[in-house]
Amino acid sequence: MWGAWCARCHAQDGTGKIDEPTVSVQPMDFTDCKLTSAEPDADWERAIAKGGPGVGLSPLMPGFEDSLTAEQIAGFVAHMRGFCKESGWPSGNTNFPRPIVTEKAFPENEFLILPSVSHEREWELAGVYERRLGKRSMVEFEVPVQHGGVDEIAIAFKHAVHASGFNIVSLGLETAFFRDTTVFEPFISAGSMLRDWYLQGQFKVELPADRAKADRAIVYNAYVGRDTSLAPTTWTLGVELNGENHELALTPQVRKGITGTGALAASIGVMLPLNEREEQGVRWVGYLLWEFLEPLRARK
Amino acid sequence: MGRILALGILGTLACAQVVAAHTFAEDRFGVQANGSITGTITTSAKGTAPFRVTIDQTVCGNELPDEAIVVDAQGHLANAVVILTGVKRSAAGETVLMNEKCRFAPRVQVTRPNANVRTTSKDPVLHTTQALHESGRTVFNVALPMPGLNISKPIGAAGTVRLNCNTHPWMRGWVIVTDDAAAISGADGKFTLDNIPPGTYELRVWHESLKGAPQKITVVAGKPTEISFQLK
Repeated sequence: MWGAWCARCHAQDGTGKIDEPTVSVQPMDFTDCKLTSAEPDADWERAIAKGGPGVGLSPLMPGFEDSLTAEQIAGFVAHMRGFCKESGWPSGNTNFPRPIVTEKAFPENEFLILPSVSHEREWELAGVYERRLGKRSMVEFEVPVQHGGVDEIAIAFKHAVHASGFNIVSLGLETAFFRDTTVFEPFISAGSMLRDWYLQGQFKVELPADRAKADRAIVYNAYVGRDTSLAPTTWTLGVELNGENHELALTPQVRKGITGTGALAASIGVMLPLNEREEQGVRWVGYLLWEFLEPLRARK
Repeated sequence: MGRILALGILGTLACAQVVAAHTFAEDRFGVQANGSITGTITTSAKGTAPFRVTIDQTVCGNELPDEAIVVDAQGHLANAVVILTGVKRSAAGETVLMNEKCRFAPRVQVTRPNANVRTTSKDPVLHTTQALHESGRTVFNVALPMPGLNISKPIGAAGTVRLNCNTHPWMRGWVIVTDDAAAISGADGKFTLDNIPPGTYELRVWHESLKGAPQKITVVAGKPTEISFQLK
């Protein structure tokens, strides 16, 4: 039924380019793997069921939830996935909501601001730019600013080595340049979905070039969370276990899509030490995120 | 015996109805009867020629009338809505947004705020019915991929709602959402507003592409008050 129904606006070949368009907006090009592969099936199913406004897009896209079953809608999404002819792009079904501390495995195109404030009013503000490279890789630049100024800059690279179904694993290397030493931080990140629950984890080793200037450390983070609705504006409730060597903290957090498409999102949480309380202290943490290559904005 | 009993019950019900109607009239309007408004809407504007259909001709036909101005040879204008400000109406019948032969039929309707309207289609082709409120907000946009579906949605707040079909750009419909008393002019340009309490009111007129000034009107008991509008 693609030809009889959807092709009227989205074209037979999914490009959205037709000779006599009957709508005033240019639909997304479904053959553009870079844009489409990052989208989870659930978002597309929602767009078909609820129409454009259900995912923050044009009201010219009607809703089909009263005329098609959920199985039929899933069938259309499966057909639409066929428009991207290139293999190797990690599925958007593994593009889970970002936890505050745990590095997510899916490669992203994002700007982030990550504030962190302790009870003693010590603050840090990190600016992060993430850019996808090729189908499965990402490069990241991070500049943390503290009240004392800038102590380090970091560059990271990660590559999704496995992505299928709702499971993804990435390997990466972060390199933090301090004034007096450099720290190499190889890591593995993984994500999965179990029923409606997001499970994400990261294991990282910090290896200073000069061990007299910095200590080796083992960092481990685990996140579990779930959405409260299927809309991109959903609240996502989650909790992280954050560990560095023998220090452990628990970070309950809440995330919210701010714009209709969810391209702008914010998260806030509180990092509660489980041990070494004097050493760690309580910290408020969070982020403001802008997914700058989100499909609507990237449209030509 | 059963028949006599049945007649007796019917008779009692009939009496009860008369009593109820009488009580209603007295309670609400005193002993005085209501009046009505009748009128004719005319224009010097001319209707436009039918247009050629370039898509889905097997369902829509090769040519469709342009119904933006439906006017007869004497200048009687159909599909204009007169609205009597200040006289509230209770819920009327169901409003059906019918997609038929690639037109909204009827083209113009009146319903109350937040009423459920039923969208349906007789055409074996994908229609979409986008209800666009005058504020610019899309109230709903439902797909009708096959004939015979019935989709009920609330029409939302008072105002003018334009109906579009995203697959047939010429399709146009209008729903005037108001809880004031309102009537739509027929093919002869005539309209009637019944059961109006006596008093002086403002009568507005709406048309999708023509305009007319509101008029003051005084309704008297027991007889129709005549009024006419000339739209430009």
